[in-house]
Amino acid sequence: MNGTLKSSMLTLTAVAGCGLFAGCSSSVVVLTDFPTPLIEPLPVRMGVIYDAELYDFVHAEQIPQQSIWTIQLGDANIAMLEPLFDAMFVETHEIDDLPVGPVDLARLDGVIHPVLQRFEFDVPIGQRDEFVEVWMQYGLSLYEPEGDLVVEWTVSGYGKAELERNQEQAVERAAVVAMREVGAAISTQFVEQAEVAYWLEERQNESALAVDSRVGN
Amino acid sequence: MSPHWQSIHESATSKPRLESRSIRFAGTALVLLTASMLTGCGVTSLMEPYKQTDAVIGSGEQVVVLARKHHSSHEAEGDFVECISDALARGDNGIEVHSSTQFEDMMYPWFEPSTAPLDTAELGELLDRPGVLERVEATGVRFLIWLDGSTDRVSSGGGITCAAGVGGAGCMGLAWWEDDATYDATVWDIHELANAGTIHADFSGRSVMPAIIIPLPFIARPQAKACRGLTEQIEQFLTSPSGDGEGINLG
Repeated sequence: MNGTLKSSMLTLTAVAGCGLFAGCSSSVVVLTDFPTPLIEPLPVRMGVIYDAELYDFVHAEQIPQQSIWTIQLGDANIAMLEPLFDAMFVETHEIDDLPVGPVDLARLDGVIHPVLQRFEFDVPIGQRDEFVEVWMQYGLSLYEPEGDLVVEWTVSGYGKAELERNQEQAVERAAVVAMREVGAAISTQFVEQAEVAYWLEERQNESALAVDSRVGN
Repeated sequence: MSPHWQSIHESATSKPRLESRSIRFAGTALVLLTASMLTGCGVTSLMEPYKQTDAVIGSGEQVVVLARKHHSSHEAEGDFVECISDALARGDNGIEVHSSTQFEDMMYPWFEPSTAPLDTAELGELLDRPGVLERVEATGVRFLIWLDGSTDRVSSGGGITCAAGVGGAGCMGLAWWEDDATYDATVWDIHELANAGTIHADFSGRSVMPAIIIPLPFIARPQAKACRGLTEQIEQFLTSPSGDGEGINLG
């Protein structure tokens, strides 16, 4: 009850402060290291396109009765995806655009293009809500090096974190949980996509044929 | 409480003698009410341990305590997991406890909320994956302890009114609240790929805060008691083949 009294006072103070200074804002920079997944790499050489939007992703939203939130996820996007793709494929190269040039055409089997499509979050106002929640959706497009689309796949991740004194830290923790979930889904379910499985089979057949022809010559 | 309180205010404007008598009466009533509530203040506990194997932890073997996170409504609090881990490792005969965060990072992505094994059959499938068993062995962890549950406020009531004036300040009233800490600790033996047992703990505590000029908090801490009770029981699980050890004193 003491805590309730205190939190009510804090809320009142915050609201009064917001009213006075019109334009309270909360800023979160998601900065963390993501572990390298413990998975077997797929036998393909992959180009990866990291857009400027992904590098510089900022989510800005005004929450009614609260404040304007800005959440910077750019660095975290790269920190999550780089070790993920490095572990998923035997070889990865960052490329700028599609179709790839002659050098990349010779050294790549495919190109993957990740995009952060949606970011949603909820910071509770009521005293009985204990968790900050974050939901994210990434889109992954797999292309042939020449630029033909193989498959588009959406992957979502949900994260929650206990709401303690610092709302910003709770949002950051929930975002990290959601991103880890996304990484877990990508690394464990990528090969389970029917189109990806078929594409991988084709690549393996091509590799086997190439080996056969070299042996024949 | 409110009718008494109201009557005090009404008399305060008209009859000073009645005022002091009413305040004395309200104070006495509050003391009696507080005393009756304090007798009910404290923590009640229920522990139900069930050990299924006679496995015990060996020298050099470690345990890791992890929170079940796949529920949308609740999950064991981070500080509760930390409390159990620290308490298990404490003392001269402390058990070697692996860091939960480090274990989850080393085993990533296999112990995330959506990918963590839900039973020992799934754990077996996970250990069959390339490199996973070797990584677990590298951690030295033999027993996984899954914590599932949470501490919730189940009820609260009463109220305290405070006022300040030229002559001083003070509070009057009575507030109470009840917290329920319910947890299950499930112990998996990685070597045997078996569920070694489960401990169910239910600790309920009522806190009371009477205020006669100054608020006096009498706070029950069921979560702390649950941490202590579960830790003692887990220790017995891991060190005694039958799991019942020498009995538990929950205090």
